[in-house]
This record gives sequence, C-alpha cells and structure tokens, in this order.
Amino acid sequence: MNSSSRKRLIFTWPLAAVTAAMALLLAACGPQQGVTTNASSAPPTPSSAQMAQLGRLVFFDPALSASGKMACATCHDPQHAYGPANGLAAQLGGPQLDVPGLRAVPSLRYALNRTPRWFKEFQSNPIERAIDTDSVPTGGLTRDGRFDTLHEQARAPLFAANEMANASPQAVVAKLKQAAYADEFRRLFGDDIFEHPDRTMDGMLAALERFQLDDPSFHPYTSKYDRVLQGKAELSASEQRGLALFADPSKGNCASCHLSAPGADGSAPLFTDFTFANLGLPRNPRIAANADAGYFDLGLCGPERKDQAANRKWCGMFKTPTLRNVAARKVFMHNGVFTDLADAVRFYATRDSDAARWYPRKNGKLERYNDLPPELRDNIDVLDAPLNRRAGEKPALNEAEVQDIVQFLRTLTDEDVRRL
Amino acid sequence: MQIKKLKWLALAGVTAVAALIAACGGSSQSPLTAQQKIKHVFVITLENKNYDDTFGTSTQNPYMTGTLKPMGAHLTQYFGTGHVSLDNYIAMISGQPSTKDTQMDCMSYNDFVQTGTTSDGLPIGSGCVYPAAVKTLPDQLKAKGLSWKGYMEDMGNDPTREASTCGHPAIGAVDKTQSPQAPSAAVPAGDQYAARHNPFVYFHSIIDSPDCGSNVVALSKLDADLASISSTANFTFITPNLCNDGHDGDGTGTAGKGCVDGKAGGLKSADDFLKVWVPKILNSPAYKQDGLLIINFDESTNYAMTQTVDPSTKKVSINVAYHGEACCGQQIGPNITSPTTLTFPVSASMDYKLVFENFGGDRTGAILISPFIKPGTVSSTPYNHYSLLKSLEDIFVPGQYLGYANQAGLVAFGSDIYTN
Repeated sequence: MNSSSRKRLIFTWPLAAVTAAMALLLAACGPQQGVTTNASSAPPTPSSAQMAQLGRLVFFDPALSASGKMACATCHDPQHAYGPANGLAAQLGGPQLDVPGLRAVPSLRYALNRTPRWFKEFQSNPIERAIDTDSVPTGGLTRDGRFDTLHEQARAPLFAANEMANASPQAVVAKLKQAAYADEFRRLFGDDIFEHPDRTMDGMLAALERFQLDDPSFHPYTSKYDRVLQGKAELSASEQRGLALFADPSKGNCASCHLSAPGADGSAPLFTDFTFANLGLPRNPRIAANADAGYFDLGLCGPERKDQAANRKWCGMFKTPTLRNVAARKVFMHNGVFTDLADAVRFYATRDSDAARWYPRKNGKLERYNDLPPELRDNIDVLDAPLNRRAGEKPALNEAEVQDIVQFLRTLTDEDVRRL
Repeated sequence: MQIKKLKWLALAGVTAVAALIAACGGSSQSPLTAQQKIKHVFVITLENKNYDDTFGTSTQNPYMTGTLKPMGAHLTQYFGTGHVSLDNYIAMISGQPSTKDTQMDCMSYNDFVQTGTTSDGLPIGSGCVYPAAVKTLPDQLKAKGLSWKGYMEDMGNDPTREASTCGHPAIGAVDKTQSPQAPSAAVPAGDQYAARHNPFVYFHSIIDSPDCGSNVVALSKLDADLASISSTANFTFITPNLCNDGHDGDGTGTAGKGCVDGKAGGLKSADDFLKVWVPKILNSPAYKQDGLLIINFDESTNYAMTQTVDPSTKKVSINVAYHGEACCGQQIGPNITSPTTLTFPVSASMDYKLVFENFGGDRTGAILISPFIKPGTVSSTPYNHYSLLKSLEDIFVPGQYLGYANQAGLVAFGSDIYTN
C-alpha cells in the first residue's frame, strides 16, 4: 500500500460513519413529509429534497464499491471542490484498489447543472456547415462528454473496473439493501423497492443526480473573484493584470473558452463554455496505460467513448473544464501531465515556440504532440492564440504574465476548499 | 445635422418619385386599395433554402407547399439580398445593404462605424449595430403611431446567455448566440435563439429605446397578443429558433444530422413550426379583419464546392462559392466588394475559401396569405427583401422608403399579388 492509498482509506472510513449517522437521523425524521402516496399500492413520489438527501447518503457510501472502500466522494472530495484529495494523475480503483484509472479526476463543482447535452451543431446549409470552424463539439458529462445526464453518468463509475468495480446491478442492489439507509429507500420508493432491482438502481441514480444538481455545496460561489463581482472585494494589481491577460484575445485568450465575464443576467461566470479542444498535450508516463506505446486516449473518439470513433478529426479533443478551484488542484489537464499550475499556463504560451521544454526526444528527435498518434496530430489546435506561435517566435505570454494569470486563477478558489 | 437634412431631402424626393411611379404602369400602377386596407402584417422568416428545394424536390414540407401555398400567393421569383444571414434581416427592416461584418453574421457585436454617406443617403462604414440616425421600419411605424413587435423563439431560455427581451450581446462582445445551446438540467428546453436572426437588435434607434424591451419579446408572448385586435401589433415579425427556422438539421431525423434538441430540423421542423403558428395567426381577430401573412426565407444556398491542393506545400483548400444571384436591379452598396474571397484556416494543412461570386442572396420564393389575396395566386414578378420593405412601407407609411427600398424603379407588391 502506498501513502496515497493509505490516505484514501483513512478518509474513507469516516465517510462511512457519517453516512450511517445521517441515515439514522433521516430515519428518525418522523412523518413522511413530502412523500406522496395514495391508497393503492402505486409507488410513492419523493420530493426533490428527499431525493437529494438520499443521494447524499449514496454519494458518501464506500460500501457500494467492490472494495468496500471507495465512495463517489473518495475521488470527488467535497473538501477539495469535489475533486481529488491527492496528487495522483489518475486514481486507483477496483476490488483491491490497485487498478489505475485513465484520466485525472475533475472537480464536480459548478458545471454539472449547466452542462448541455453533448452536441455538435449540424447546419443545414452545406457552406455554413463546411466553414463552421467556430462551431465545435460541446457539452456532455465527463471529459469526453459521453453522458447527457447525471442519471446516465452515475452508472459508469459503479461498474468501471478501475473505479467501484461492481459486478452487476444486482450486486449494487444487494449492498443498498444492507445499507444503513435502506429504510430510507423503502420510505421513498415503497416497501417492496428492493424486490425490483431495476427500480432500485433507477432510484439510486436519480437520487445521486438530484444531490449533485441541487446541493448548495456544489455551487457555493464564495471565491474572491465572486466577491469582486459582487463589489465586496478588489483584485490586487497582479490579479487584475492576470484577469486582463486571461481575457485578452491576443495574449492568454483563456476566456474564449473559460468564460470569465458575468452572464447576461449578471450571474457569476462558470469559467467554461463546455466546448471541446485539442491542445496537443505531452504524454504522461504517470498514467499506467501509457506504458503501452500503442495506447492513446483520444477523448471524443475513444477508446472510452464509442459513438464518435469514426470522426477522426475529433480525435484528441477533450471538454473544457471549469477553472473554478483550479489552483487547489495538484494535477492539471485530462491526463494530469502537469503538477504545477504555472506550467499549465506556460504550456499554452510556449507549446510550439519552446517545444523542447514540453516534449521528450527519442533517438535525438523531438516527439512533439506525443500523446496522439502521428496521423492525428493535424487535429491539434495551432490557430487560436496563444497556441498559434511557431518555433522560435515570441510567446504570447512572458514569465511575469504567466505568474499574473496564476495569481488571478488563485482568486477562483472557494473559501471552504483545502489547498493541496 | 447635415445627414438629417439630406435624409429629409431624400424623403421628399422619394415621395415625388413614388407618386410618379404610381402614375406610370407596372405593378406599382395597381390601385392601393389592398395596401390601404391591410392594417396587420405578420412576417415569418425561415432560413437558407433553395427555391428548387422548398417548392420543388423537398418532401419535408407538405404543409407549406400543399396547404399554405394554395391558400394565397406564391412568389416564385423572390430573392434574398445577401449571404450569409444577418444582412438579409437588416435589409428587410431598414433597406441597408451588406457590410463586411453583417455579411459574416457579426461574430462580435460591434458598432457600425460610419465614415461617410453616399449620394443617395446610405451610411458608409463597417460594423454591425447602426447608429441611431439610421432608421428602420419600427421607427417609421412609431412616428406614425402604429405598433410593432418582434417575437423571437427561445430568447431568454437561458438568462445567462441573453435577456428574454431585446436579447443581444454587449457592444464589443463576442456573440454567444452564434451556436445553439442543447438542453441542460438548468435549461431543460435548451436555447436556440440567435441574435443574428433578430434584425431589431442591430439598430441603436431600437436598442437604446425602452421600446426594445417591450416590443422585442419571446415567442411565447405571441399567443396572448393574438387574442384581440388591440393587443396585436400592426407589424409582427416572427423568428423561429435555429431548429424551427430550418437553419439546423437536414430534416431527415438521421442521427447526428438534426438539431441540438433532437428534432429533425431542416424543412421538416420549419413545416412543423408553421403548422403550429400559422393557424393561430390566421384565426386571430386582427388577421381576420385586415391581415397579411408573409412567409419568406432569408437567403438561398445556391453554391458550388471544389477542392485544390497547393503542389508545393500540399495544403488543401476547400473552395465553397455562393453564386449570389440577385434580382430587381439590386445594388451592392458602399460597404462590400464583389466578388470576394474569405479564407478560414482549419488546421495547419487545410483551409476553407469562401467565395462570394456575386452579392445577391439567390432565389428562395415566398408565400403570402391574406383576405386580400385570392387562393392560388402565383406571381413571377421578381422581388427581394428591399421590395418587401417597400411593400410594408406602402402599407404603413406610403411614400417613405428607407435605404434601398428607395431604389429607383424598385417594384413593390402590387395587383399581381393583391388579387382579391
């Protein structure tokens, strides 16, 4: 067991205790407030609040995994903006918690309820369709956007071999039946709920969805930048410069995807537009699957996602994540290749102007864009600033400007989030 | 001041010319009886369809061609006035010709910067949002004490994207409505409003007035406004969302070729939209008393596509060309040149070249329905969006023609259409 695994275990057991305690509290809540029933045996209709409460119990329950030690909250830790509590490029799962994941765990804060279903606009006019270079695939949940709703998405980690690794829905239902909050399931869905595995699974997934959409802990808006937007704080000089560079289309140009301006109704920005991009990241040797030189995580076109595999020009595209709480993370980008936030910013600025800094050499030759097979490297964005600089050209950002952007990004961390 | 004086002089001249034209044959020779009687006009503008498709080969729009066309007048030679969208809408309510920006749909919502005025009073310059001195049909209606309203489907569905009244980006901002937004948990219906299909928000004379907030509203308001003559505006302009106007989707229902909300789009969704709204309009007291319904398209998609490869660089260029056929003596205006080629880089090894061979919008056809039009009327008289504006002005503000609606010899709807 390595130190990271130990940390996770230590974290997991208190979760189980919390879960059990919450279940007891709920069971003692008295009358079935909000549960609508009729005289017949029709299943009750739980309220959204009841579903969210139940979803919380499920979210924090490590007993629902094959290992008995991995809850949703194990990787999506509320104290870390529902992101990872460690610096692993990808987390370990499976029955023995020794099966490595394939991608860095994203934060679940802010984006979930505003993530549109995955789409790529199909314009009926063939000319507009041909030149719609600004209209890129958008939306969907997870880094490759393969789930349209949280209800669908929540099923995946329960059965993924490198996550909770349950063998079947029946296995999950059996665990729910033994859970401290099993009576809550019966109260919300009917006494016979566990006799209907499909309904039980459906109820559990709906409860998880409701919790993640509705619980205020997923969108607290307590960062310094939020206070600035509310007129309750001011950015420092460096943070102000950073924001300007972040938004300037000829400098950082970050805000073209990580939207930083308030919405039309004055709502706080989410720092993502949910679009997909192909950044040409360096390959990360700390992703175990990358030991196989023939393995490539192509994002939108596979191998995790199956339905867009034929669209080769989308290979290598991943969804733009929110940058809220990014400074509290320890690994960055979909493959966790960067462990320093400043490096993540520097990469954009100098990817091609100083490629030797980012890519390895093999037999004396620089292996640029080495996380994509050579035949797909033409997909990589070389047009949008700051990724449009060629070898030897001046980067769009100098080091001081990189540091200013990092300072600004630090203002996006919520008050309650622990820094790693 | 000088511009204002010129405008009034032009107006006086226009009135005189109109009187002369009215006295000298052609369709303008027709008695103005119908135009004088019509007090309520409804315009529904659809998107991007060739005449030969809409009224020829398509099987997706039986309601439009089988039900609506025989109910009124079929204008077989109706043309758009530009490509790729916005310039057509602007022409319909102001008579202003294309600018380089409106020709490309104003990806950024920038002010029109005027650098001069042509001898016939047209502003010279570039940009999107015209200064307050550039007047529109709504300005003319207001001056005469008549009412107008624009109904925009989906506007405000996502209040963070655009307001529910007078929805437009901030001046100078990137237009976030260029791409449709699929449904999400927060916005279950999605948001397919496109500012570029809402002509009213490209004029300071409108957006700087409280009228914009009260008169440019979501389509959902139309039902109530149709309930009585007093609540129905004299001029009603209806823009379906990007699916229901046929802009998106190919209408077949094929996976990946529909709209972001899962509908088929194309002429199929346009037809479905008309099935819902046309009966409501035709059954409204205002229409029954003295109405005219116009169903037109912004532009056609008459194009050719070729591919070339640079022998030295191996760079591939996809050349797509709008033929840009025009009618009615259409003039190019002072703000664009023709032919024009625009280049859109796609990747390091490919670009698209968009060629405007001519400055027209190609042939679309249109349908007009009114108590003043005999069912089964067919007119082969050439008309375009400037003719439409002149025809609307003949109804509401006779003799006052804006922009290229004031073009010498331009023919307005006449006895070839008003046959009843």
